[in-house]
Amino acid sequence: MSIDIDKCNGCGACMVACAVENNIPPAPEAANDRKGITWIRVYKVDNHRAYPERRTAFVPVLCQQCGHDTPCAHVCPQQAVDVDPATGIVGQMPERCLGCRYCMVACPYHARYFNWWDPKWPAGMEKTLNPDVAPRMRGVVEKCNFCHGRWHAAQQKAAAAGKREIDAADYVPACVEACPTGALRFGDLNDASTEVAHDAQRPESFRLLEKLGTEPKIHYRSQRDWVREIASAPRPEGKDGLRG
Amino acid sequence: MTTTRRNLFKFVGGGAAGALLTPAPWRLITDAALWSENWPGIPRPARGEIRARFTHCTLCPAGCAVRARCVNGQPVSLAGVKPHPIGHGALCPWGIAGHHLPYHPARVRQGPVKEAVAAVARAIAQRGAGERVAVLDLRPGRTVSWTYRRAMAAIENGLYLTPGQPAYSIDLAAAKTVVSFGAPLLDGWGTPGNVFAARDHFRLIQIEPVETRTAALADMWLPIRPGTESVLAAALAGETTIAEAARVTGVEEEAVGAVQEAAQSGSAVVLAADPGSPLMSLNAKFGALGRTVVARRESPLPDAWKKAAPVAEMAAAPDGAIRVLLIDESLPGGYVPWSTIEPKLAANAIVVVFSSTSEGYARHAQYVLPAPVYPEAAEDIGPAIDTVAEVFRIAAPLVAPVVPVVKPGEFVAQMAGLPQGDPLRERADAIHKTGRGALLSYADGKSTPAKEVTADDFWKTLNQSGCWMDETGKKAAPSGLGRSVTRLTSHDELPLAVVVAEFNRGGLASPLMSKLERESNLRMAANRVVLSPADARANGIESGGRCLLETACGRMNVVATIDAGVPSGVVEVAGGPRMADLCGASRRARVVRA
Repeated sequence: MSIDIDKCNGCGACMVACAVENNIPPAPEAANDRKGITWIRVYKVDNHRAYPERRTAFVPVLCQQCGHDTPCAHVCPQQAVDVDPATGIVGQMPERCLGCRYCMVACPYHARYFNWWDPKWPAGMEKTLNPDVAPRMRGVVEKCNFCHGRWHAAQQKAAAAGKREIDAADYVPACVEACPTGALRFGDLNDASTEVAHDAQRPESFRLLEKLGTEPKIHYRSQRDWVREIASAPRPEGKDGLRG
Repeated sequence: MTTTRRNLFKFVGGGAAGALLTPAPWRLITDAALWSENWPGIPRPARGEIRARFTHCTLCPAGCAVRARCVNGQPVSLAGVKPHPIGHGALCPWGIAGHHLPYHPARVRQGPVKEAVAAVARAIAQRGAGERVAVLDLRPGRTVSWTYRRAMAAIENGLYLTPGQPAYSIDLAAAKTVVSFGAPLLDGWGTPGNVFAARDHFRLIQIEPVETRTAALADMWLPIRPGTESVLAAALAGETTIAEAARVTGVEEEAVGAVQEAAQSGSAVVLAADPGSPLMSLNAKFGALGRTVVARRESPLPDAWKKAAPVAEMAAAPDGAIRVLLIDESLPGGYVPWSTIEPKLAANAIVVVFSSTSEGYARHAQYVLPAPVYPEAAEDIGPAIDTVAEVFRIAAPLVAPVVPVVKPGEFVAQMAGLPQGDPLRERADAIHKTGRGALLSYADGKSTPAKEVTADDFWKTLNQSGCWMDETGKKAAPSGLGRSVTRLTSHDELPLAVVVAEFNRGGLASPLMSKLERESNLRMAANRVVLSPADARANGIESGGRCLLETACGRMNVVATIDAGVPSGVVEVAGGPRMADLCGASRRARVVRA
């Protein structure tokens, strides 16, 4: 996936589309920004200056689908996290998860969410649930899986047509489909002819916390220096000796 | 063989160890986990036949084309329609979750319909000379708006009121420079897909006091002192000096000069947060009329509808004259502050509101009647502010109303004694009769000239998967740009200028919007305000602390956020009916600790 931060206006269409697609319930009364569930979350970041020098950007953060030493997969005692070698997508199996939340601690991107409550929808609204995705129970961790339901549907369609490979147009995650600005793009990074592979090679392209070596598969880009600086999370001045 | 205790233990232990080597216990764990996924309390999504249906979103005047994925006819997700020439497949977050609205827990579910009918009939019969019956249409330009106008023409002293509708359209595709005075161009203005499709081809200069979403993505953001926009506009028009404008507005001289140069370079358009603002008259100075600012075009009407009441704004109504006021708030639209309406009402006025929410005028009306919500009712959507072509699109219902509803158009038509009929069909027939334009089908992306289809097929396509468009008309200059805006009352004793930094269209929103507010703080909730550190310190307010937002019209409990990105002397708020009522005709406020 590639994300153009200079195009994102922080409208939140991706967050709502994700919740609709993946049967993520509305927040209970007691939920807040730490206990809510947003598989993709748009963060409002700024250049740390006061008015009128303040400048803002919006950074959508979802599971970065780490390709090397995937931290969450490493620490899961239940093998509830796996990396699909064919697609590189990091999957989460809620039926295996025991809710220890080691993966949440291990994830450097805060892209995993714990179900604090049973999933509940207002009366009647459960009729609008997506039949391709099972709602998760209380006490398990969940996260973005690049809309696995859509991946399966594309595979089924390809199989029905007697093809082994899916048609790229048949598999687009809900957030990408919903983005009105065209900031989000999706495709095969290993295929040099795709737009995302081209985006990943641009000089202004970067990945979040690249120095950790987790090889994320989400490539961001921005022409603004301060945005790229924030993405690398520079160590605060005078804290060079500290770990963590 | 003698069975000893030891043998029994050996057998049990050996059996248990052996069982571990079989798949049974592991299978049991998986089954138990799968069962726990479906235990009582976890909803099970319904399964069934999956197919796509098409409609148009009515949640704002953009009227984006929508493809609904339906399971057994029930919509489970909504997406834009890619081949649509205006919407380009984009939907906003409100539109994406629009199919949740019929089940919203805060929806108005019942109302005193019979009592309202009787009270309105009595008031009309008993009204005195000069007393008016009025309809306030918050979303003018629809077919039902014409029903209201015809009804008000049929009633003596009938008055058709709107919050104001611009007589112009903006052709963004023809613009090379957009000078925006606080218009939320990239956050809900016009048709989102159309704006973003044109975005790469124009330079955006955003002039507003705080850095909104639009300002954040603008090519140039000019932070201006609140309330001084007209001085900058005068400088751009050459009516005052750049130096004087810079002194008053706080915008640097070079920046003012750069905007003036860009605006005069041709193919520029000036936009204002209020489409009726006098700032729009700058377009005449920059030669935008007939090029980027064109006359608004409405689709053809049946001849029989020509006898209709004129469009008026609330200010046109005499004080204390409205005996019966019917407010169509069924769709989110413009909002006239209650402090503007109240003086126009007679002492014994009857106010009936058709609404699905208790947030807006329902707080002030005697009768609140439950209105259908999107996507329950068949409605058409008038052209958006950035639609240059003539269009006619119908929001075909995707679900039956889940509560007993009153259709405002039928209520008003019946009250005025208009002949029964289907106004949407009448208008579709009138459009088809002209033989102009083309019918675009979303299912296959094909465009067919209207004259090549029968009237029945025309109507069927409009209701199932398409829209009518006529782009052939010549672009004309609009007849009027700005209307006289409500004069802001001065309340200098209130130290803070109120700046609406969060776009809020009002009406019901899906419960999933909690993702954008409480669960992420991406968008400002209606009960939040943002202050500069200096103003917060001066009033002893802490970040996250509860406080009171006080204006000349009242006060409201809010939660404060402190942000160094907000200038001193400004309080950022989220828009919406409550805030509009609280501010009234003033944009000044005070924030104090609760």
